[in-house]
Order: sequence, then structure tokens, then C-alpha cells
Amino acid sequence: MIKTINLTKKFGKLTAVDNLNLEVKSGELFGFLGPNGAGKTTTFKLIVGLLQPTSGTVTIGGHDILKDPINAKSIIGFIPDQPFIYPKLSGKEFLRFICGLYGLDHQDGEKRIPELLELFELSEWGNELVESYSHGMRQRLVMASALIHKPKVIVIDEPMVGLDPRGAKMVKEIFRGMAREGVSIFMSTHTLEVAEQMCDRIGIIQNGRLIAVGTISELRQLSGIEGKHLESIFLKLTGGEKMKEIIKVLQS
Amino acid sequence: MQEFSLLLNPTITSFKNRVQAQTKPQRLRVYFLVLLGLAFWVGIFIIFYRILVYFQSTEYVGDILIKKLLSMIFLTFFSFLVFSNIITAFSTYFLSDDLNLIVASPVSLSSIYFSRFVETVINSSWMVLGFGLPVFLAYGVVHNSSIFYYIYLILLLFLFLLIPAGLGIILTMFLVQVFPARRTQDVLFLLSIFFIAAIYLLFRFLQPEKLVDPESFNSLMEYFAALRTPDSTFLPSYWATESLFPVLRGESGDSIFYFLLIFSSGLASMVVGNWVSNWIYYSGWTKAQEAKKARITQMGFFDRTVNFITSPFHSSFKAIMSKDIKTFFRDTTQWSQLLLLGALVVVYLYNFSVLPLDRSPIPSFFLQNIFSFLNLGLAGFVLSALAVRFVFPAVSLEGKAYWLVKTSPISTHRMLWSKFWTSLLPILVLSEFLIILSNTFLKVTDFMMILTTVTIFFMSFGIVGLGVGIGAIYPRFQAENVAKIATGFGGIVYMIICMGFIGAVVILEANPVYIIFMAQLRKMAIPPLKWTWIIFSFCLAISLNIMAFYLPMKLGIKKLETMEV
Repeated sequence: MIKTINLTKKFGKLTAVDNLNLEVKSGELFGFLGPNGAGKTTTFKLIVGLLQPTSGTVTIGGHDILKDPINAKSIIGFIPDQPFIYPKLSGKEFLRFICGLYGLDHQDGEKRIPELLELFELSEWGNELVESYSHGMRQRLVMASALIHKPKVIVIDEPMVGLDPRGAKMVKEIFRGMAREGVSIFMSTHTLEVAEQMCDRIGIIQNGRLIAVGTISELRQLSGIEGKHLESIFLKLTGGEKMKEIIKVLQS
Repeated sequence: MQEFSLLLNPTITSFKNRVQAQTKPQRLRVYFLVLLGLAFWVGIFIIFYRILVYFQSTEYVGDILIKKLLSMIFLTFFSFLVFSNIITAFSTYFLSDDLNLIVASPVSLSSIYFSRFVETVINSSWMVLGFGLPVFLAYGVVHNSSIFYYIYLILLLFLFLLIPAGLGIILTMFLVQVFPARRTQDVLFLLSIFFIAAIYLLFRFLQPEKLVDPESFNSLMEYFAALRTPDSTFLPSYWATESLFPVLRGESGDSIFYFLLIFSSGLASMVVGNWVSNWIYYSGWTKAQEAKKARITQMGFFDRTVNFITSPFHSSFKAIMSKDIKTFFRDTTQWSQLLLLGALVVVYLYNFSVLPLDRSPIPSFFLQNIFSFLNLGLAGFVLSALAVRFVFPAVSLEGKAYWLVKTSPISTHRMLWSKFWTSLLPILVLSEFLIILSNTFLKVTDFMMILTTVTIFFMSFGIVGLGVGIGAIYPRFQAENVAKIATGFGGIVYMIICMGFIGAVVILEANPVYIIFMAQLRKMAIPPLKWTWIIFSFCLAISLNIMAFYLPMKLGIKKLETMEV
């Protein structure tokens, strides 16, 4: 569903994404991990068409995001880590606006809006201006907006940021359910437990390069650490072992 | 003192870094803006210089007029500064993002108060001071004042600025105790604009041009009475006038007394402000954090009207238009702009209604038609001034939420054209209203009425196309408020191009119309060669209109398509 071929993005002399090749299949929940500044958000922006690649291609459901952006974008639902939305619209009005952008039939839209507000526990807030929402509520509203057109691909940057434990659990269940129905989900997270619980496969990016990709057990084999949690594997692969030494020094 | 300078450090360092990190095009922009500011500055100087020279040449009342003008300038500055300081103080003391860090750190409230005081004074007063200086310079030059006047002026202005700053900050501290900070700032901003609009209207309706024409008054007594505007001896603006005027003329007078009044009041306002801050700042700060209240937005009639207006359009067009209209009317900073618009239009039409056309020695119908042509240019200017505020920011107003549009399956082409149509309708209605009403006041011929009505119809397309297009070429998605978008580099580029466009259309039509008029006046037929020229000019004007709305839109679409978010 999502395919990147030799995807590269340079900002001046800095190579933020370096020759990235990856594929996310239908119904797969793919976790994208990496330290801060590794190139995760840049990759996401390239996939959804917010940035233009320096070289390489991105295809979504067979549509090239640069050559055929309208068809590619019509099947994506994007949830960024910073949910900036129009503060002077109410939740319902915002969802109606998204329905219009994605060309949804008016009746379908009016049916979907209360369903999604209910699903994300925002029904009571539907008529309030977004400016009065908390960070977590805005995040849930953006999630609702990303699902309104029934996308085949969901791209989420840090889904759990700003959500309370109840919200986080709800979101995990929703996305797992969607993956079971055949939706491809490409997500990044710093919460390694979440990645371990939710993802079918995980890719680890560092300095713009994909350094490892596979299921948890494949990554275990790759790192040579048997029977350990994803945290240890991640630290080993990204050179974070030094962190443990630093912590020891600080504690002494 | 150490804490005070430490707290000011991030502001100064950030400013320094911003200047140093400028790329070549950014630096060029700054040079351009400085040059433009300088031109404006020189313009103010020349206007005031000529006014003062004229006043000086007027016997008996010249000095009174000069002093009256100075006192009016100080009074305007003072009232404007109090408002400006209140609005700025809301941001610097209560709403600024870095306050969470600063209030949580172990620094004294006095240090926070004084460091923010400096920021508030600079932010609220630099523009008034900057554009006030050529006025004071003109005063000095006209009176051949010594260097002492300029030194004294700088010192006096510096101390004068402290008084409205102190007052504004104290008022803000109390206001935050009662009202939610963010909402109050919006309302006060609106009030301040209302205040400026009211002063503007009042000034216009008082007909100041009559003051230099004593014949328009029935008696000398009436004239002197008109000169006597209320002056309160308790106002710092009065002290500043009384202190500066003798120095200007190289006399001593009561200068020192009034200078000391300003000096002591300036320092006192700072000290009292510090007491007030120590007393209530913390509780006000806490209240400002709690004030994010929800608001019910059920407005059936408004929603139905918006739905009706947007109903003929495609669903994605409709979505963007409906969103733009709703966010526009819910943003209080936009209302204030609407108030200014109202004032501008009223004064514009009023000026035409009081023109003494029947007293002119030139044949009236000829003059009326010339005025009608000038009116076309002026109306174009008024419309472009409105468009830079309302149309030009259309793309930038997407703000940080632009990612939503960019990642959706709506083409940039469709998005930009939806903004064009949303802006065109109100501009079109207003332009026809302005032209038809002012032409009715002028009692122009039917031919001129039709010509100007048709021209302004097409011109509106150009003005809106240029606005949306250039707004897309120079988008400012990070701008905090709409006023900042219009005053940026792109806004200035738009105004310059728009003026050129309006001027070109007026010139292209004026000459053929002159030929037609002269032929009518002399009762002569127009030769075929001139007819060719007339047709060619009109065709050129039409092509210019088409180019003005189509070309910038095309360039804007191209820019947004390749732009990275």
C-alpha cells in the first residue's frame, strides 16, 4: 500500500532521509522508530506530500504522490504530532470541512460525523469552538477527521502524545481494528511498549537511514539479544547502550 | 539588577540572532522596507514642514496654531500609547509563551515587572516614536532651533513614554483580575481601533481646512472659539507641550517646571506599577491561565446564510468558502478591520457630498466628469487598501493548519480559486456601491456612470486576483495575527503592483474619454484615426484587467504547489 523507492530528502548539506526503501502492505501495522532527529517526521511528510523528495519516489496504493497527488491523497488519513487546526471552527464544523475537502456526499458526511465524535468521545464538545479544546481533545478530533473518508492508509506521527491512558487505550484498539479490516497503518512512536504491543513489523531509522526492519523476533535476531524487550534491542541498534553508562555515572 | 538584565537577555539575543541569520533575499527585503520607511518618514517631514511654514506666515494666529497642533500631536500620542501599552502588556505580562518558564523560575516579581516593562515600552512605542520624530524635526527646522532643542526633545520623549507605559501596565494588571486575559485583549484591540476610527471621523467632520480660511466663519470671535479645543492641565500631553514649546523658540518659560512634572510622573508610574505588580501580578497570572473557557457556537441563521451563499459551488469549493467565511466573522481582530473599513468608506463618500462644484468657474459638467475619473482611481485605491487587509491574507490565514489542505485530495488550483470567489463578491458589491453613490453625488453624465461602473467591475477582478495571487506567492503561515500579514513584504509588493495597475487602467481610459468629451464640447466629429486609438486603449485596458487577475493567480498556484510545509 505504501512504497518508498530510494527516497532521499536533503535540506542544504543535511541529508534528513537517505535512500529509504520500505513497503507497508495492506492490513499491516508498521512501526517506525528512531532517536530524535533521525528523519521520522521528514519521512512522514514526504509520504503524505507535504515535502517534495530530493530524489526517489513514494507510491500510495499504486499512485505516485508527486505525479498523481489527488488520487494518492484521497486514500490517506494523516495525523501529525502537532494537531494545528482552525481554532474558530467548532468540532462538527471542522469535520464538515474535511468531508468537503475529501468530496464526501453531504448525507454520508452528516451520518459519519456523529459516529466519529461518539467513537472518540467528543460528542458533548461537537458544538464548541476548537480553541477551547485541550491538546488531547484536538488530537482525537484530528484522528476522527483522518478516518472520516474511510482511508486505506493511515499515517500517524506519535499517536499517543497528549492522550490520557483511557484515550491511548481507545486509540490502540481503534487502529488494531482498522488494520484487521485491511487498512495499512504507518506510525511512529517513542513509546516502545506501544510499538511492541501494536505493530506487526518495525523499522528503525537513524541519521536518515533505515538500519533495521522486521518483526520483533527478527529484530531480536539481528541485534543478537535473545528474549529481551524492544527497548534493549532499540538501544543496541541505535547505539543507545552508552545511555546506560551515563545513567550509572549520574546515579553514583 | 542581575536578574533584570538576565530576563531581558533572551529577547535581545533572539533579535541579534535573527538579524545575523538573515539570508541574502531576507536582507534585501529589509533594505527595501527601510527605504520605504525612509520615504514615508521624509513624506511626513515635508508635509509638516509645509504646514508649519504656512502657519508661521499667518499673522496673529500663526503661533497659536503651531502650539495647538503640537498639543494635539502630544494628546494623540498619549491616548494612542495608553491603549497600545494595555494591549502589549497583556502579551508581555500574561500571554507570552516564555512566561511559564520565567514565573516558575526563582526570580523576584520586581525583576519580572521591570524586564517586561522595558519590553512593553519598546514594543508599544517604537512606531509612534519613529513616525513622530520627523514631526518634531520639522518643528525644529522651521523654528531654527539650536542643538539643545533636539537633545531636550529626546530626553523629554523618553520620559514621556514611561507615563502611558506605567499607566497601561497598571490598568492591565487590574483588568486581568476581573476579565479573561485573551478575550479582554481582543475586545480592547477592537476598542482601540474604534477609538482611532472615531478620531478620524471626528477630525474629518470638523473640517479642519476651514481653520485656515477665516472667511468661512461669521465673525473673528467664532474663529477664535473654533481654535480653542479643550486642554486639560492635568494631562501629561499638556505638560509636554508646555515644556517643549519654549525650548523650541529658544525661550525658558515654564519649561523646567513641566519637565520635572514629566520626569517625576514617569518614574512614579514605574514605581507604583512595581508595587501593584508585587501586590496582584501573581493572582492575575493564575487567573489568565484558568480563563480558557468554551463557547457555544450555535448560530442557525448565520449557518443557513453561509450555506445559501456557498450552495452553487462544488463540495470542496463550498467547504473552503464556508470555513473562510465562518472563521472570518468569529475573529475579533477582523471585526476591528471592518470598523476601519466603515470609517474609510463614510469619509470617502462624505468628501464627495461636500464638494463645492457649483461655485467653480470651470463648466460644471466638465468638472464633474473629471472628478468622476479621479474618483475611479481613488475608489481603486480605497479598494486596494481594503484588499490588502482582507483579500491578501486569504492564503496566510490558513496558518499552521495549512497541512490539512495540503494533505487533502483538493488541488491547489481549486483551493486558490475558491479563495478568489469568496473575496470577489464583497469587493465587487462594495466597489459598485462606492462608484455609483459617489457618481450620484457628483451628478455625472450617463456615459461616465456606465463607463466607471463597468471599469470598476473589471478592476475588482484584477484587485482580488492580485491580492489572492500575491498572497499565495508570499504566504505567512506563522503570522500571529491578520494585521501582521498585511504589513509584511508581500503586502507592500501587492500595494505597489495594485497602484500601478489602477493607475495604468485610469490613464488608458482617461485619454480616450477626454477626446470624446472635447468632441462633444466643440460639437465636432471624431476622426477615424482617433477612433482607432480609442478602441485600442480600451482593448489594452481590458487585457490589463485580464492579466491582473489571471497571471498572479497562476503564479500563486505554482508557488503553493512547490512549497514545502
